[in-house]
Amino acid sequence: MKPRPPTMRGKRRYILARILPYGMAADQKQVYLSVIEAATSLFGDAAVGLAQPAVIFCEGGYVVVRCRRGTEKDIAVALATVNAIADERAALRTVAVSGTIRALRRRIKPVRPLSEAGDVKFGETYFTVYRYPRQKVDLVEKGIKHQKSLFFTEADLEER
Amino acid sequence: MKITDACVHPYPVGDSTVARIAIEAAELGFDSIVAIGDDGGRYHGVEVLRGAVIGAAAVKEVLRRVREPAVRRADVVFVDAGDISFNRAVVAVKEVNVVRSIHATRRNAFDHVAARTAAERGVAVDISMAPIVHLRGTKRQRALQRYADILSLQRRYGFPLTISSDARSILRQRSVRDIRGLCALFGMTGAEVTEALSSIGRITEPHRPVRVVE
Repeated sequence: MKPRPPTMRGKRRYILARILPYGMAADQKQVYLSVIEAATSLFGDAAVGLAQPAVIFCEGGYVVVRCRRGTEKDIAVALATVNAIADERAALRTVAVSGTIRALRRRIKPVRPLSEAGDVKFGETYFTVYRYPRQKVDLVEKGIKHQKSLFFTEADLEER
Repeated sequence: MKITDACVHPYPVGDSTVARIAIEAAELGFDSIVAIGDDGGRYHGVEVLRGAVIGAAAVKEVLRRVREPAVRRADVVFVDAGDISFNRAVVAVKEVNVVRSIHATRRNAFDHVAARTAAERGVAVDISMAPIVHLRGTKRQRALQRYADILSLQRRYGFPLTISSDARSILRQRSVRDIRGLCALFGMTGAEVTEALSSIGRITEPHRPVRVVE
């Protein structure tokens, strides 16, 4: 099929959002389902159908959501109401909105753990320690599924 | 003008420590936060104010609780809203700064009489982002209706509003830009959001006539 000429294509906007907590391996399809659920429950099928949201990139703790021009504010609000991705607690923080994916890629600053993960024991529970820049420390309960997470700082960890 | 998240619940109530919440708040565009049940201080450039929440069924209980040392030490005292007579009485209590959980009350529980008293006494009404972000369906619709109702009373009588994330985790904190978008859902303008976010500063440091100390 011959593609439409550029002047006849619909104008799009791209929203870059950061996935929290850091280190969450989010699947693109699961992120899409969470975004659609949040947007549909907030604005309804008609508005979301017209906005045509789609997740086109999900990597390195960031997600790029595409939508029709003029609906980017609504979709950004809907992203703020995302609470979970694939039954795991999560949040999407809007970083930037742009007309091109290239401009958004320049805004991506991957957040990686600073050092090797260690272990710590709180009460009867063992946690794996992940250290991030700005003295952030994430503690993830050792287990297979639905592990509890705690969000500390370096100073908090030293106190305990 | 300080942009303040009016209510957060740090560890052990929540899963994030007050220092971590403060770091995230700074990244999200806040200058200060009110931490419930914490000692306060300053973390990573963000001022942490002490908050105390009073959940009571009767005004007599509120009057007793405001005399407790933990509540007297607090910079901001919150009271959970109740029925119409409770709300009318509680906004007249001198020690109370903010009435919260208004979304969980019955319709008209905060009426024009309470609104007028709140405006005269400088008592604020808190708008929590938690029901908009975390609830779905009719519960969220009811919260939006209640907030729209509070906003119309605020425009008529001019009592202060505060905006809080009610976050127990950093995953529940939202940026100032997100809060603007979420508040637009019930008709709040950008200027009104900015004023509401800076209300805590006016509550903790109210304008008073100049006093000669000498």
